[in-house]
Amino acid sequence: MMSEFWTRLRYLFTRREPDELDDELRFHLEQAIDVRVAAGMSAEEAHRQALIELGGMQRTREQCYEQRPGWWMGTVAQDVRYALRGFRRNAVFTVTVIATLAVGIGATTAVFSVVDRILFRPLPYAHDDRIVSVGLVQSLERQEFAVGGFFFDWRDNQKPFEAFASQGAMPHACDLVEANPAQLNCIHAQAGFLPLLGVSPVLGRNFLPEEDRPNGPRVALISYGLWQDHYNRDPGVLNRLIDVDGSTARIVGVLPKGFELPTLQAADVMMPLALDEGNERKSSPGSAMRAFARLRPGVSIVQAKAELEPLFVHTRDTLIPAPIRKDFHLSVRSLRDRETKDVQSAAWILLGSVFAVLLIACANVASLMMARGEARERELAVRSALGASRGRLIRQTLTEASMLSLAGAVAGIVLAEGLLMVFLRLAPTGIPFLTRAGLDVRIALFTVMLSLVCGALFGLLPALQTPRAVALAARAAKSRNRTMLRRSLVVGQIAISMVLLSGAALLVRSFQNLEGQSLGLQTQGVLSARIALPGFRYDTGQKKMEFYLRLEAALKRFPGIHAVGFSDSVPPGGWQNNERFADLAPEGKPFPEQGTGGSVVSRGVTPDYFRALNIPILRGRNFTEEDRQGSDYPVVLSRLLALRMFPGEDPLGKRIHRDRDKLWLLVVGVAENVKNGGLTEQDEPEIYFLRRSVQQDWGGRAPVGEVMSGAAPLMIVDGLVPQETVALWVRSQAAQIDPTVPVEIETLNESVSKLADRPRFETALLGFFAFCGLLMAVIGLYGVISFVATQRTQEIGVRMALGATRADILRLIAGEGVRLIVLGGVLGMAAALAAAQLLKSLLYNVGPHDPVTYAAVALLLALVALVATLIPARAAMKVEPVVALRYE
Amino acid sequence: MPPTTDLLQGTLDLLILQTLATGPMHGWGVAQRIQQVSRDVLQVGQGSLYPALHRLEYKGWIRADWGNSENNRKAKFYSLTVTGRKQLETELETWERLSGAVGLVLGRIPEAAS
Repeated sequence: MMSEFWTRLRYLFTRREPDELDDELRFHLEQAIDVRVAAGMSAEEAHRQALIELGGMQRTREQCYEQRPGWWMGTVAQDVRYALRGFRRNAVFTVTVIATLAVGIGATTAVFSVVDRILFRPLPYAHDDRIVSVGLVQSLERQEFAVGGFFFDWRDNQKPFEAFASQGAMPHACDLVEANPAQLNCIHAQAGFLPLLGVSPVLGRNFLPEEDRPNGPRVALISYGLWQDHYNRDPGVLNRLIDVDGSTARIVGVLPKGFELPTLQAADVMMPLALDEGNERKSSPGSAMRAFARLRPGVSIVQAKAELEPLFVHTRDTLIPAPIRKDFHLSVRSLRDRETKDVQSAAWILLGSVFAVLLIACANVASLMMARGEARERELAVRSALGASRGRLIRQTLTEASMLSLAGAVAGIVLAEGLLMVFLRLAPTGIPFLTRAGLDVRIALFTVMLSLVCGALFGLLPALQTPRAVALAARAAKSRNRTMLRRSLVVGQIAISMVLLSGAALLVRSFQNLEGQSLGLQTQGVLSARIALPGFRYDTGQKKMEFYLRLEAALKRFPGIHAVGFSDSVPPGGWQNNERFADLAPEGKPFPEQGTGGSVVSRGVTPDYFRALNIPILRGRNFTEEDRQGSDYPVVLSRLLALRMFPGEDPLGKRIHRDRDKLWLLVVGVAENVKNGGLTEQDEPEIYFLRRSVQQDWGGRAPVGEVMSGAAPLMIVDGLVPQETVALWVRSQAAQIDPTVPVEIETLNESVSKLADRPRFETALLGFFAFCGLLMAVIGLYGVISFVATQRTQEIGVRMALGATRADILRLIAGEGVRLIVLGGVLGMAAALAAAQLLKSLLYNVGPHDPVTYAAVALLLALVALVATLIPARAAMKVEPVVALRYE
Repeated sequence: MPPTTDLLQGTLDLLILQTLATGPMHGWGVAQRIQQVSRDVLQVGQGSLYPALHRLEYKGWIRADWGNSENNRKAKFYSLTVTGRKQLETELETWERLSGAVGLVLGRIPEAAS
């Protein structure tokens, strides 16, 4: 085998004397003559007969050459040259095919690269398909959570899992105190957490069980990124003592590159959760955490959930107070669902639409290649008559198809790279993994292959069918068959682009509704500033409050600043604090039944909040500066909440009892509703607490009567001067009080616009694909109609000679196009109506079957398609009858 | 391409290899020898002979050297290589199996089987 290979290789590189073969053949001839002469023939006659017997020398010579290994390579260069000449002669065809392929390949590759992680790519854990998120969910928290009060009970008594461990509820900001300080994210996790995920440190080791105990040795794992950026990948980092938030921990390991928490939150340092198991078991509820588990092989999520049910029921009945029991549910979800559930539908829609574009592109390439093949039928016939073998013709066609595909692929990959950059720029922050998306080589290859197949298959059709003699006579019935095929391709293209267009139009309408709606508050000119006070220096509510109040006072002195308020969040969306409706009761009335009434948005604000955001107080009054110094708990209700809690009554002066901590709240005013459930959701009832000038209202720990969440206050500033100036003032004033605190400033316009990022992104993408699809479908339609028109030139000549007017001809050709448009349009409309159901979750204030949208889309498609038909039809109309009759 | 099937082509290769097994020979000699041995039944035209010789040479089964013919003309002599000899054995085996099988199908008991 090897020797054969070497022989082949040798012959590939050594060229033999070309006349060696001639010598050999001449010797053969001479021998033949000799034999005849010896038999008594005259020399001349012998020569003649020997030549006859020998047959075609040239043919033999060629066949001998063809035996040479690698002989065909020479012909490839020939084919390539020939193809290039053809492309140059037919530039429009070439550019169209390449552009079509580029758009198809580029768009598909870019989108697939984005959605791959969301939908398909395995998660970076061992047995990722068996890892689940386990815990309780309730109306205020939709992601599974667990608490120490039941976690250990579940862990010891569960059956469906082979591993069960948890991480802390949330990463928290922490400070690395050393010569080169940094603010980091720290997360706590149990010793069993990394083994559960099948992750082991690249350097050092995981926590030991004895380290995962209260008062155990203080140890830490650091992320690869921290190791790289902060410690220069020094292997000596192991056993180093670091100071995190003022206490020392020993580094025992480095997490692998690309490690991510199953909650997808950033974490630079991981420390043992170190829960006091005995204490936690007894406490109710105990420490909050996120629990994950690995299913035993063969156990499904449904089974696991069923098996956990008794444990859950026990927990619910012992741990959760009876009134709110109904609100808690058991949840077991695959990790992928936990990570990407809310973007999956959008991802599928994007993927679907981009495959639709790819389909249209393929149909277009097929159609164009077929048209070219037909136009070249005669050429192929001539070449075949001149002695080109069928194999050779097929190879030639394949060469052309692969050259086109290759060019299209290169252009497509460049386009994909560009598109991906655009995606990253446009994309909202909420889409997981997007920032890490890179071009996917597998899918690029796949799309290139697919388009190659499209091109080659349809390009080959004529070459395969060419019967030598018939083709010269040309115009046979089979070409009609192929025209039929092309027509159905065009119908398909129109139908698909109808689906794409109507989807895009629905999203555009929905987006208009979203942008155009009234938020109920002023966003223009308002800034929000988030100031994260480092927890270890500002360790009491008093210190925090002093900082904020000093900053407030300093800013209020500026003449151009109209209002300086504090809140813990701003509408219309993002994170905001919640109360349970059932937790609040007007004085003298029973609490509503638990689990009913849903949630109420709550915000802890200062009086200037309403002024800064221009939220009108409808009745009663705003909070006052005196209230801030008082000890009451005044509240302002939104109109919606006032209506629900005090139907038909005057809420002013009424007291509200809060069940949780038995606090009495006093209603002083009613404010107009604001859009507070996100841009696309219904408004929710809202209650405003006053952020008083006492330390527990500013993030301090208070044993009782803590009105607000511990969330850091968000400063809201409304200025009459340009926002840049206001931002500068805020920064400089904050720096004067404490130059080390980081200040994050955002205009409210920006934050609102950010909320619309997702829909904007989806709309822009789908719109772009719909446009590409339409463009390609129109090119396809134009191609078919002009082809049909050329094919019927002679017929047109006859008709005109017999008295048909130019209008008749126009009708004849355009009618063909109209039939295709109507057929495609109707099919597309039916498909679009069916597919629109999938879009439902993305639409805002517009039904999936909105008639106006569909009518507009149909009109647009019809108009554009008609233009594509009329251009070649008019050209056919202008043909001179004499020329037409002589055509071919 | 001439209308040859794999069987015919393979057979020609076998005949050439078998002929060359007796010793080096030029193209003309090979053709004459096949004709003689088959008592004029098989006539190999140069149109198939030389491509076949070249094919076998490229495969490394035979080797070509220039030498002088019996009537002292420059001629190209082909001879079997070591791989060629092995190849001849396998081809012979295959051929025997095949002809035996064909014989069975045609209802004639092949001599080799009796």
